[in-house]
Amino acid sequence: MNPFEIDIRLEHENSGPDRFTLEAAFQASGQTTVLFGPSGAGKTTLLQAVLGGRRPERGRIQVAGRTVFDSERAIDLPTRQRRIGVVFQDALLFPHLDVRHNVAFGARGGNRYALAQELLDRVEGGHLGSRMPVDLSGGEKQRIALARALAARPAAILLDEPFSALDGPAREALGETVRQVQAESGIPFLHVTHDITEALRIGDHMVVLDQGRVVQQGRPSDVVAAPTSTVAARAVGTENLYRARVLNHHPDGYTTLDLGGVSVETGLMPSPTGDEVAVGLRAEDVLISLNRVTGTSARNVLAGTITELSPRGSAIEVRVETPVAIRALVTRASVQELRLHTGSPVHLLIKAAAFQRLI
Amino acid sequence: MIRSALFLSLWVTLASTLIVAVIGTISGYLISRRRFPGRGLLEAVLNLPLVLPPTVTGYYLIVLLGRRGLLGETLFEWTGFTVPFTWVACVVAASLMAFPLMLRSALVAFESIDPRQALAAASLGHGRLSTFFRVLVPMARRGLLAGMVLSFARALGEFGATLMLAGNIPGRTQTLPLAIYEAALSGEDRDALLMAGALTLVSVIVMILAGRLDRKTA
Repeated sequence: MNPFEIDIRLEHENSGPDRFTLEAAFQASGQTTVLFGPSGAGKTTLLQAVLGGRRPERGRIQVAGRTVFDSERAIDLPTRQRRIGVVFQDALLFPHLDVRHNVAFGARGGNRYALAQELLDRVEGGHLGSRMPVDLSGGEKQRIALARALAARPAAILLDEPFSALDGPAREALGETVRQVQAESGIPFLHVTHDITEALRIGDHMVVLDQGRVVQQGRPSDVVAAPTSTVAARAVGTENLYRARVLNHHPDGYTTLDLGGVSVETGLMPSPTGDEVAVGLRAEDVLISLNRVTGTSARNVLAGTITELSPRGSAIEVRVETPVAIRALVTRASVQELRLHTGSPVHLLIKAAAFQRLI
Repeated sequence: MIRSALFLSLWVTLASTLIVAVIGTISGYLISRRRFPGRGLLEAVLNLPLVLPPTVTGYYLIVLLGRRGLLGETLFEWTGFTVPFTWVACVVAASLMAFPLMLRSALVAFESIDPRQALAAASLGHGRLSTFFRVLVPMARRGLLAGMVLSFARALGEFGATLMLAGNIPGRTQTLPLAIYEAALSGEDRDALLMAGALTLVSVIVMILAGRLDRKTA
């Protein structure tokens, strides 16, 4: 059973040049499905349709095995019966209720304040119970909004760019909480973002939306490794993006990561062994050599085969399977002098410091 | 005369403020929920008492509620009761004159609430009524309160429509503004001054109370 099965057509409300028809179909297999796309791609409209705030002209929406909308069978459950929780970008807590009452608002029964406290503890907001929303930081608001959504025991939770108003550290901390809550509760999340790093970091399944259509989908690491859609490619840019596993930390001050079949040395990562981290590597920082060079300061020398050469402005992007795909950006002159072509065996030289941990 | 006018005025004003608060809040909410064809016309009609001369509004009320009026005739046949020249007429006139002010305040207050708030409440399993009373009304309370203060002031000062529908019967339908008018006209300056003072005092007290409430709910 897929957590989200969606196939809808919905006329977008915007007038003017932005106007488009949302015509999206996808089946999300992961526990956390990321809906990625630039602003105006129709992500929020899609979310509203799933939640029941917008009615599609036709189609079918199935959430956690339950049909909440089906134009052919004339099913259109009202929002309150859909059992779908939501966390908005700006949290939208009820401003007239303190944190405890905000969370208990979604709960039923006599022990709802006990449940509220339990959920607050789970999102690391146990000490905030008597605060008013206006006195909370952005990150705290999002935690409370997540606890509030959980209180109604939803079959799924929708998150509409929950991190976008937060700064780096708050974003990372909240991301960790969201990941934990998802794993412990087993509730499928549909997570909207326009940040490709975020999509890579938290998604099990990624759906790329552009102009109201699904233009690419798959495992996030596959999407960023081979962005076939224009929007994904533009978001990825000249960056190699990976979801890597921390293999070990060395006392000499470096970390070994598994990029997915290839081990690399990077600067010291502040994540424990076994954890997954998102790392970026700029294509400009990758050197190509025809033979296996020694005596350089580059900590990583990886053998591979060129699978693709594509022009990028005045430079050429060279895609090398190591077996993990790594892209290097080199000049046309280098390509000619080294006689690089598809199938050429090459070595890649990468400094440890070139790998950047992404948050 | 002064005492009965003062008590009648207070009673009529409180009653109409309450009536207008309830009806104005509900209609403000219903109109705020969506754009529909004819909404502009509906709002214009509901706002008419604000722009029409009060005597015109009063005249329409007579046409509607008089013993041979459109509604008044049926009401009389069924109950034997007629609205004109009773305290009920004072309340009806004051309510109608105050209604647009309450409606406007309520409409603005509800429209300024992010529609996703109602969606969030619904996603937490709450129906329309529960969402209305537990989320929307509390969130709109400042605007609603402001509307009630305006309505109170408008009802307290109501003169023209009241005169048309309720007449000016001392002890029965003579509210303070009517009594002041009569006292000033017949040269009873002391009484006129006293009542004007009383009206001013009530207005000041209401404004202070409203200001306090407003700060408390802020």
